Amino acid sequence: MSPRRTDTGGRIDRLKTIRFTFDGVAYTGHGGDTLASALLANGVTLFGRSFKYHRPRGLLSAGVEEPNALVTVLKGEVREPNIPATMIEIHDGLVAVSQNRFPSLAWDVNAVNQLGGKILSAGFYYKTFMGPVIGPLKGTRFWMFCEHFIRRAAGLGSAGSAKDPARYERMNAFCDVLVVGSGPAGLMAAKTAADQGARVVLADLEPRLGGSANWSGETIDGAPAADWVRRTVAQLEARDNVRLLPRTTVWGYYDSNTLAALERVSDHKAQPAKGEPRHRYWAIRAGSVVLATGAFERPLVFPGNDRPGVMLAHAAQRYANEFGVLPGQRVVLFTNNDSAYRSALALKQAGAAIVAIVDVRPQPSAEMSALAGEAGAELLSGHAVVATEGGKALSGLKVQRFDMVAGGLSGDARSIHTDCLLISGGWSPTIHLASQAGAKAEWNAGRQAFLPPKPTQKWIGAGAFTGSFSTLEAIAEGSASGLAAAGGTGTPAALPAFEAVPGDPDPAPVFEIRAKGKSFVDFQHDVTAEDVRLAHREGFVSVEHLKRYTTLGMATDQGKSSNIPGLAIMAEALGKPIPDVGTTRFRPPFAPVSIGSLAAERFGDLKPERLTPMHDWHLANGATMYSAGLWYRPMIYGLSGETVEQAYVREAKATRESAGIVDVSTLGKIAVQGPDAAAFLDRVYTNMFSTLAVGKARYGLMLREDGFAFDDGTTWRLGEQDFLMTTTTANAGKVMQHLEYFLDVIWPDLKVHVTSVTDEWAGAAIGGPKARQILAACVTGTHVDNATLPFMGIVHGEISGVPVMICRLSFSGEMAFEVYCGAGHGTHVWEALVEAGKPFGLVTYGLEALGTMRIEKGHVTGAEIDGRTTARDLHLDWMLSKKKPFIGSAMMDREGLVAAERLELVGLIALDNRPLNGGAHIVEEVDEANPHGSIGHITACCYSPALGRHIALALVKGGKARHGTRAHVSDPLRNRFGPVEIVSNHFYDPEGTRMHG
Amino acid sequence: MAERQSPLEPEFHVGSHGNFEHGVEILLTETRPGSIVQLAAWPGEEKKLMEAIRGVTGLALPDGAGGGLSDGVKSVFGFAPGKFTVTDEAEGLAAALAKAVTPAIGTVTDLSHGRTAIRIAGPKAEWVLSKFFAIDFALPAFPVGAGRSTAHHDVFAQIQRTGADQFDIHVFRSFARSFWKALCHASEEVGYEVQ
Amino acid sequence: MLITCPYCGPRDVIEFTYQGDGNRERPEPASQNFEAWNAYVYDRLNPAGDHNEIWQHSGGCRAHLRVMRNTLTHEISSVAFVRGDHASPARGRAEDKP
Repeated sequence: MSPRRTDTGGRIDRLKTIRFTFDGVAYTGHGGDTLASALLANGVTLFGRSFKYHRPRGLLSAGVEEPNALVTVLKGEVREPNIPATMIEIHDGLVAVSQNRFPSLAWDVNAVNQLGGKILSAGFYYKTFMGPVIGPLKGTRFWMFCEHFIRRAAGLGSAGSAKDPARYERMNAFCDVLVVGSGPAGLMAAKTAADQGARVVLADLEPRLGGSANWSGETIDGAPAADWVRRTVAQLEARDNVRLLPRTTVWGYYDSNTLAALERVSDHKAQPAKGEPRHRYWAIRAGSVVLATGAFERPLVFPGNDRPGVMLAHAAQRYANEFGVLPGQRVVLFTNNDSAYRSALALKQAGAAIVAIVDVRPQPSAEMSALAGEAGAELLSGHAVVATEGGKALSGLKVQRFDMVAGGLSGDARSIHTDCLLISGGWSPTIHLASQAGAKAEWNAGRQAFLPPKPTQKWIGAGAFTGSFSTLEAIAEGSASGLAAAGGTGTPAALPAFEAVPGDPDPAPVFEIRAKGKSFVDFQHDVTAEDVRLAHREGFVSVEHLKRYTTLGMATDQGKSSNIPGLAIMAEALGKPIPDVGTTRFRPPFAPVSIGSLAAERFGDLKPERLTPMHDWHLANGATMYSAGLWYRPMIYGLSGETVEQAYVREAKATRESAGIVDVSTLGKIAVQGPDAAAFLDRVYTNMFSTLAVGKARYGLMLREDGFAFDDGTTWRLGEQDFLMTTTTANAGKVMQHLEYFLDVIWPDLKVHVTSVTDEWAGAAIGGPKARQILAACVTGTHVDNATLPFMGIVHGEISGVPVMICRLSFSGEMAFEVYCGAGHGTHVWEALVEAGKPFGLVTYGLEALGTMRIEKGHVTGAEIDGRTTARDLHLDWMLSKKKPFIGSAMMDREGLVAAERLELVGLIALDNRPLNGGAHIVEEVDEANPHGSIGHITACCYSPALGRHIALALVKGGKARHGTRAHVSDPLRNRFGPVEIVSNHFYDPEGTRMHG
Repeated sequence: MAERQSPLEPEFHVGSHGNFEHGVEILLTETRPGSIVQLAAWPGEEKKLMEAIRGVTGLALPDGAGGGLSDGVKSVFGFAPGKFTVTDEAEGLAAALAKAVTPAIGTVTDLSHGRTAIRIAGPKAEWVLSKFFAIDFALPAFPVGAGRSTAHHDVFAQIQRTGADQFDIHVFRSFARSFWKALCHASEEVGYEVQ
Repeated sequence: MLITCPYCGPRDVIEFTYQGDGNRERPEPASQNFEAWNAYVYDRLNPAGDHNEIWQHSGGCRAHLRVMRNTLTHEISSVAFVRGDHASPARGRAEDKP
């Protein structure tokens, strides 16, 4: 006999047939089916192989806690492993495969591991992968070789490597009340809070709102509970102040009532709608939260409790009532509590025969006995299941008389023929989110469960989450919590009518039946009760250590069904009560979260990028772009067939011979305005700016408070109270924050405003012997001769009808000008300059040529101002004013910062005429076999067209004192060794005659 | 003078896009104001600055953080303590304000080229913006006329609500195309039209 | 974590930049007291409990805020502009005060 679809019943859409495959076999199901319910309806009992022993496994549960039935879903080239079949809604074309089996699920060669149980016990990995400490294999790679195969044999599904084309999104939400869980408690909370006018978000991880009301078979307000759910949901849907989020797992509870949730938007569809994301990550800031997350039923631990066909009692009830699937025909129930009796009765009503109810308690209540009678079941009180039989499906079990106080078994074992064993070990409230929110759970001896702690954040619990397991309590608590969460003071609407059903919420304190055979505690990680005891015998007494050693509760289900039984077994071994052994604090995520949803729109071409005003021109004119931080800048404008080096050598050479133009729009630009602007700059820069005349620019250096160099750039005085500061591209944001900090925190009395105007201006630097002629040819409204525009002078004029600001300053070492105009006119002015330059042989050049020319000139950039160098190290001490204090002046002369052995900026010339590498070490003597004795390193290098040599800038101990001496590069990673000459960092035109003209 | 180039150009595709078969729920456009000017008052001079703004633009700023208003041609809103952004369809606003805002009151910074103004309108405007910004876009929390300073990762944004379901977003010009692409992408699921 | 900016209202911590211990006292710019400079640049209290911190609302109004934050619970007990002269009520937040 096997599971089957019932003829009637369930909340599935029987008119709708859905086709899917599992392990290549075609099946059909109905609308509303999960993969689990649809396969079960098709008689499938074997869903997977276990983690270590490759034991056959079936469905334990019907929900998110499922530890056994993990499958891989294939979508095109993309495979997503380890998804519980219970959480997959089937759709036409769904392709799912089982995991951890070879060659097939039914015939798995590694099932032989079951025979080697002793070897694969707790701590197997720790013991095994230490490798032999003595003997012939000591220190060999043999163990690493073996590990490969052992690791392959144990495990879960494998991840794919294909690029995931799905769309993921992030969504921010604000609400007064977030309700987590949509069972009777959550629904009542949402409804009551919404009635108070609160903005409400109601999230549930299942596709169908209603929780247990969908399958409990109870009656609310005179109608089946599921109908009451439908009615209530429809009312909520119609309200403007309510957002319903089905298929949404609230998985993290963070500070300030910020919660994280994952909405599975289109996993249940064959094709997402256009633009629809696969997953949406919700960041929800809630005024208060109602936690109505329910409870998980616990399995009992006994030999063979993992055989396919052994299922949690409520899960079987859910399959029958919600999905119209009977998990078996001849059912036995094994329980330590009252709740499961109703599950047995539900299966009976759905058409199964209830053969027996095995209750560990010596004398179940009269009500329960009556229920057993109603179910037509033989009631075996004071009994326990001690073994199960069957292969890929359950065929029978053995029961024995059991003394729940002493834990002993007695009498002969009796065999019962069955194909489905329902188990119930009591209920554990789903307190994960409350625990994440920061408080410690409290053990309740009656419920034999950890109950939620006192809130440390703004949440209120309701229903089974609080240990109130009856629907009557859930409705009342839901309503009260919704009212309180909304800050309401009035009386809520009358509660729906509900007739209480008898039943004791407290289970018997029985977690394990000790008998011969493997009794599983953690199904997903194959941890047995004996493993827990072994860990204890080996000295692991802390529950945290126990978890790590046995890996109990550390699988993808995070121990939802195994934590409490594991803890109970550990407590028994220690001879301590459970609360003294402690529980582990739950951490996010509550359930696995797709990485894609966390990356969201930062993925692929949606990463933010910064483009200069001339970006499209560069692309259209052959530039190879280079990403510098978020900016994109031309690296080279290569001609066809040119290498990068050929291109930049050509560009740099042409610039020095005639003229070149480069886009410098990325330079940080900050407007410094106000009556105290000049005084402020005097404090910020090491050199003087209050003496700078209007219409002139000056090169400035900033230090950090600790005396190290921070940033450099030119600052232009546009007016008495109006400066334009430029910073390096990379440091623009940091410099801005630095200035804002000092103005806001340290010197609030200074009347200065700073504004980022980086994006206001397009900038082009044009340099070379012909640069001035080119400007003269296209600039109107001003002269550009030496008298009108001296070195560091600024003029205003027009190019092609557009106002421009021109400053004569040079980074390349040539006679050079920076031309600024409004960014929206950037391309227009750039094109005019390029056009005007044509007769003069003007080239456009990129970052490579820019870098080459700056190395030839020995200018510093971020590679040298690396946070570890001082002004003196960089030979910029001439900029340190002695006439005034400035940021860093008090700390820059500390002993360590003026020591003789500091690394100083020098130039290097490769004497072997081969390229140098950035980051390579400099040594006095080469020792290729044992590289040592670094005296510094290379910060930047290039082939210098001006010198015809491979050159570099470096930071080297002793610095100037070594000029003219020989040293060696030692770069073992790239196997580059060779002699260099240490020279001044000013390789080219050290007197600056070219620049000054 | 040469026309100002939009940073969005190669990615600005007029027409309906995304899942628009059931109707567009988002309108996207670049408002291209002639002037975007930032004003900042010295502490204690805020009222005088607000008065100067009223004198030049005719817009009377309400008290309160982030307060603002728009007459459809000119707009103004506070985005930081003592600081305001003013826009005008016409060019030349910075020069006019520079006359009214004396150095004793505060400073005037012309950002007409440096900021790009993108307008998002339609019934799903709040929904789409919520994908980017962790601020509450609901009308009671963000009234018409008001301004907000916020950021989407590295992209700073000043947002003014210029209608019940209309927002003007000012972003740095260099980020504008990237942000525009992301905005279009995020609007696909509800259908959008670029105007 | 949310920080309630006095200008912008409650905002996510991603909009803020931590700008250091708020107990630092910067010596007079011309001070030659090296001990005082050293303490300002390097000495930090690092308390387990309430901590006086400076945060910049860098992803918002860019004002610097003095935030009293409990380092054990992340609870924020007070937030104010570092600049006292920003606190005038005319520019206080009118709506959606938490």
